[in-house]
Amino acid sequence: MKTYCIELAGDFACFTRPEMKVERVSYDVMTPSSTRACFEAILWKPAIRWHVRKIEVLKPIRWINLRRNEVAGVVSTRNVETAMKSGTGDLGLYVEDERQQRAGLFLRDVAYRVHADIEFKRQADPSGSAMKYQEMFERRATKGQCVNQPYLGCREFAAWFRFIPEGAMESTAIDETRDLGFMLHDLDFSNRNDPQPRFFRAKIENGVVNIPALDSAEVRA
Amino acid sequence: MILHALNDYYQRRQRSPDPQDRLPALGFEEKEIPFVIEIDAYGQLINVADTRTIVGKKKIGQRFLVPQGVKKTSKVAANLLWDTAEYVVGVDTKGKPERVVEQHAAFCIRIEGLSPVARQDTGIQAVLAFCKNINLKQFEALPVWPDILAVNPNMTFRLHGDVELVCQRPAVVSSAIPVASDESKIGLCLVSGEPASIERLHPAIKGVWGAQSSGANIVSFNLDAFNSYGKLQGANAPLGKPAVFAYTTALNHLLARDSRQRIQVGDASTVFWAEEAHDLETALPDLFGEPPKDNPNRGADALKALYQSIQSGKFTRGDANTRFHVLGLAPNAARIAIRFWETATALELGRRIAGHFDDIKIARAPHEPQHLSLFRLLRGIAVQGKADNIAPNLGGEVMRAILEGLPL
Repeated sequence: MKTYCIELAGDFACFTRPEMKVERVSYDVMTPSSTRACFEAILWKPAIRWHVRKIEVLKPIRWINLRRNEVAGVVSTRNVETAMKSGTGDLGLYVEDERQQRAGLFLRDVAYRVHADIEFKRQADPSGSAMKYQEMFERRATKGQCVNQPYLGCREFAAWFRFIPEGAMESTAIDETRDLGFMLHDLDFSNRNDPQPRFFRAKIENGVVNIPALDSAEVRA
Repeated sequence: MILHALNDYYQRRQRSPDPQDRLPALGFEEKEIPFVIEIDAYGQLINVADTRTIVGKKKIGQRFLVPQGVKKTSKVAANLLWDTAEYVVGVDTKGKPERVVEQHAAFCIRIEGLSPVARQDTGIQAVLAFCKNINLKQFEALPVWPDILAVNPNMTFRLHGDVELVCQRPAVVSSAIPVASDESKIGLCLVSGEPASIERLHPAIKGVWGAQSSGANIVSFNLDAFNSYGKLQGANAPLGKPAVFAYTTALNHLLARDSRQRIQVGDASTVFWAEEAHDLETALPDLFGEPPKDNPNRGADALKALYQSIQSGKFTRGDANTRFHVLGLAPNAARIAIRFWETATALELGRRIAGHFDDIKIARAPHEPQHLSLFRLLRGIAVQGKADNIAPNLGGEVMRAILEGLPL
């Protein structure tokens, strides 16, 4: 179970709290689910699953308040299906009619060093091996290859990533220790139609947040 | 973190040994009720008392502890023993007579739905007798009647000779604790971390300047685009009912009109509290606000006290290491946006605030105030010096810069 480490950095980040999702307020540090998404942006296959182990905060936590124009509605799936069947249709979403201004309290100038490992699911790839996917990831991460640009919470906040090989000398995490309250760990998709959130008590100790495993007792269901 | 801290503040107030210091318990809230209908034991109208006092230019009713109201939507839903004039008396103030009939019926049904023990109470029986035969002519003869018709205010009952309202009588109080309705699902509350029944719609937060008058919500998913993973309303952010009640009551209390723990900075209504009773909690409005005309030195005195506390490292009340929270809220129609959130120890915060005052020391004439209040600073930057022209984000950003010790 080899643990890989990448460094993620960006100008803005918003790891949205579920309770303040409309007028966005970010968590203080990166959430395990967004970390997983960054690893998956580099490599994901149906046979693997990423488990995040550790998040190190490299830059002081700074905030910025922004107000952005967004929309109030979603395109209805029924309209899309009708248009698909009939061949024509008006699926446009007219922003002028739907405009909503949403303020957000985002993070500024973030950098994280995150550690995760791959779980190989043999039933999805009977002829493969864990080694195959590990090498794939190492190749892609060193080259800087990704399927989509990794992002810090929201798609518009792009992240730059750098693969950190084992044993490299890197800067230390910030010197901060406090309790962050309950943080979203990830969503449990065992029931596809009704994903359930999972929370854990996050603590930052000398700039490091240790993430418990999804099925461990620390993660509340 | 924010809701967690508000929840802790509510619990801290509930633990206070002085009952006056406690916030309303689960199932109750403080409400302004301008008119109290006095009835005798047989339900006959005696008088309608006007509890309003003139504050500034408006008439404000007295606040009472009443059973918590239901969240008002476009449906007809009555509160227990108090509600607007349309529900209580059945008088049409907006030109919708059929709806008023339904409203009054709903109000009576709610009272009849109380437990048999409560219904034996003389106060309840008087109210039920009143509701059965309402004589509008008696009301129309009252001098306050035109006011009531114009405003559709909250009204409630009091038995003649009693000091408390009917809804505050012991029999009613013990039976008004709400029973959990079975329709709400059990999930994990993200404030307490324990399983609880999840609240679908959170009670409104009133007192945020610029938000709509019926109150706004921090946790709100009022449009399609805000739902995720197919969840609706409260299921998007699972919070248990006790946690929801705690944080909304605490925040409403901190934002109350006469609260000493709020200041207005530009468009951000700022509230602050500490984890235990602390000097700095009540000093902040004096430090940042305009001093009242009858005591122009209040700001200067508060600042002197602050400097002394920082030098000695001790506060008169409360510890230097108590965690202090500051929350800035800005309105957005029916929602509330969080402008900033600061948590620091009281001493650290005191140092940053003192640093701010050191930064804005200006050479001045002896008759001018020692330091400028935040409002005057912001107004000085606005076009033509008018308060309306203060850039919307600026108040919140300035406050955040002061509290984080960043350059202004």
